[in-house]
Amino acid sequence: MATELDNIEIRPARRRFVQGAAALATTLIAPGILLYKTGQASSNGAAKTPRWGLLIDTNALSEADVDACVSACQREHGWHSEAGSATDAQWIRKLRLSDERSGQQQFLPMMCQHCADPPCVDVCPTGASFKRDDGIVLVNKHTCIGCRYCMMACPYKARSFIHETLYDQLPVAPRGKGTVESCTLCVHRIDRDGANAVPACAEAVNRGEHKAILFGDLNDPQSEISQRLKSHGATRIRADLGVDPGVRYQGL
Amino acid sequence: MIDCSKALPFLLVSLLISTLLGWLAFTQAVAGEVESSGFGAVAIPQPHKPDNASACVEPLDIMRREHMNLLLHQRDATVLDGERDGNYSLVGCMDCHNPAASAETVIRYPDPQHFCAGCHLYASVKIDCFECHADRGLAKIEQGRLADSNVAQPGSGLLSLQTFQMQLGDTGGD
Amino acid sequence: MRTIYSEIRTSSPQYWGLLAVFAVITALGIAAAHRMEVEGHHISGMSNQVVWGLPHVFAIFLIVAASGALNLASLASVFNKAEYKPLARFSAILSIALLIGGLAILLLDLGRPDRLIVAITHYNFKSIFAWNILLYSGFIVIVLAYLWLMMERRLEHWSRPVGMFAFAWRLILTSGTGSIFGFLVAREAYDSALLAPMFIVMSFAFGLAMFILLLLLSFRLDRRELDASHLQRLRKLLGLFCIGILYFVLLFHLTKLYGSQNHAYERFILLDGGVYTWLFWLFQIGLGSLLPLLLLYSARWQHSPRSLVLACLLIIQGAFAQLYVIIIGGQAFPLNLFPGYRVDSSFFDGVINTYSPSLWELLLGCGGLTSALLIALLVVRVLPILPQNLPGAQN
Ligand code: SF4
Repeated sequence: MATELDNIEIRPARRRFVQGAAALATTLIAPGILLYKTGQASSNGAAKTPRWGLLIDTNALSEADVDACVSACQREHGWHSEAGSATDAQWIRKLRLSDERSGQQQFLPMMCQHCADPPCVDVCPTGASFKRDDGIVLVNKHTCIGCRYCMMACPYKARSFIHETLYDQLPVAPRGKGTVESCTLCVHRIDRDGANAVPACAEAVNRGEHKAILFGDLNDPQSEISQRLKSHGATRIRADLGVDPGVRYQGL
Repeated sequence: MIDCSKALPFLLVSLLISTLLGWLAFTQAVAGEVESSGFGAVAIPQPHKPDNASACVEPLDIMRREHMNLLLHQRDATVLDGERDGNYSLVGCMDCHNPAASAETVIRYPDPQHFCAGCHLYASVKIDCFECHADRGLAKIEQGRLADSNVAQPGSGLLSLQTFQMQLGDTGGD
Repeated sequence: MRTIYSEIRTSSPQYWGLLAVFAVITALGIAAAHRMEVEGHHISGMSNQVVWGLPHVFAIFLIVAASGALNLASLASVFNKAEYKPLARFSAILSIALLIGGLAILLLDLGRPDRLIVAITHYNFKSIFAWNILLYSGFIVIVLAYLWLMMERRLEHWSRPVGMFAFAWRLILTSGTGSIFGFLVAREAYDSALLAPMFIVMSFAFGLAMFILLLLLSFRLDRRELDASHLQRLRKLLGLFCIGILYFVLLFHLTKLYGSQNHAYERFILLDGGVYTWLFWLFQIGLGSLLPLLLLYSARWQHSPRSLVLACLLIIQGAFAQLYVIIIGGQAFPLNLFPGYRVDSSFFDGVINTYSPSLWELLLGCGGLTSALLIALLVVRVLPILPQNLPGAQN
């Protein structure tokens, strides 16, 4: 196939493809082997790969703010959850914490925590559940077989299985019956804007100086998120499991 | 031992019946999907071409032969590496090749009028792109949604309809 | 004395009737799976909270029993117990049949069963599930080879090493099945290394119970003679395995109770879990373990084949109860994200999840079970698997 294409005049768009054609041929012959290239090539690059994360300041979030996060995510990705439905997907949800003794209440958004050692990636039989070089944990829906083992393994209940046929999905969030999905950290925005990206949930609640949901590079000590983590500290939910989530909480 | 003298005619008869049934089912299925002009002759598909775009991302012969590889390659680059600036996205296809017909009718993938379905049914190549991807471009979806809030055909995406309504209700909310 | 094996030749209406019933249920199971694939899983009782349901209970039962069904073959070739030799072939066939039935359910319950090819070509070697795919397919190949060596006189001396290999393989296989749950560190109900050995003992008992039932059934269908001494041996073995399960269940819950962080979960299963508590105490412990032990050991019933059959049936229903409690009860209990806080949300955080299986799931599960029985009953008709008779032991 590569030879056929070599004979044709090469345009820039095509050049990329021809470069990839050899890789593609390998993929076709030995599927599954090359696909992992990305997952493993992470740490040896000289330039530090970013690790994207969120710092969520629960003190700055009212209940309405958390609701705004949820509906912003729904708008961005086109998912919807009927109240009380046990089968509808929820990429992000509002948690209410009540202290059992004092009765004090807090609200926080809970979604995929983009762990450094994600249990969902470990257990996935096909490798469909994977972690990108930059730390974002995603489901490759082209290889997900819908076994739901990742949902069993996730400590945060962050994943949903799609129980029904869907139509008219949004271009940024293809999603379909029989596969599993979860928060993507708005990966399409990150691919476009890099360190300046603002995930939809953060966009919905950040006003003025203080960012209630701060997005940034955990690997870059100069980044705002690293600075704030350094000065204020933060909680990792279920830190006891050692999965090192990339989403951290302040004020818990 | 088995009595062969009875087994043979029995086998032949059952073979004959199952073959006939198979043919019947096959021709029925074909007739149902693509307009058929008689036994074995299937109409050559005439995919609808977009009227506003001048040319495809690649010459026609390349697209015909290679579209699946182009798509597959870019698909993995996008999902695994986050490279989103390629030319060959399925979303791109659907943006131009909005299924034919007016804004009021929704043409879903398995319908032979759908740009992809015509040939794929003809060649009997099963694809599952549209289990997850929208089978029409975003513009068309929005157009349909504005023209008629009753986008959902019987049995079609309940969820997405709700999403639309929610989106409509939410505009100007923040 | 040489054992003579032969195909069962019955054309009794019972045999064909049974086959027909099994075939119909299997067909219904396939239809149900198809329906679930077309409609989506919302027609099942499963949800985003209870992601594995009744089909998985059936599937795990069959897979676990498959490994256990090989017991008698292993006893004969690995432990040199000549008296079990005549039953070795049937033991191998049954174990393959049960495994196929279990795997079929797992496959058909996938969200995308049409992507079987993906499951075969993409392996994540860190995944216990992926190991299990290899273990299961390897098991079928090894047991087939083993069976062939047992049936081919000239190669019979090879059956011992291969039998040993099969024995080791199936221990690993059942450990693997147990580890599917045991390695789920985030869930209180699982997260225990004990699950692997517990599954092994469960496999011994469940597999033997299935074996005894099917052996009696096929002997009876073909009117073959089966001396009571064989049943007595199997009865003792079954009782032993039953005690083994009880021991592991006790150990499992004691270790969970030891750490106070699991008290809430233990309380749920043992005291106030509603259906799960009932299933545990009444169906698993009472009817599934204690009553069979009574039937197997008490002087009164010790010699009646009926009591053996009843004990097997009870053990099997206990197996379902136990797996239901482990698989579904374990998911019904909510994840504990914030110890010390009460958590609630629109996504069922902090509440006991509900699950009620739908007809489709039940059909799929039963279909898998009957497909295994169908295979076993068909194979004994076309291959010389069963001994022509099993007279009293000579020793
Ligand atoms: S449901 Fe999909 S992503 Fe999750 S473990 Fe199974 S194959 Fe992997």
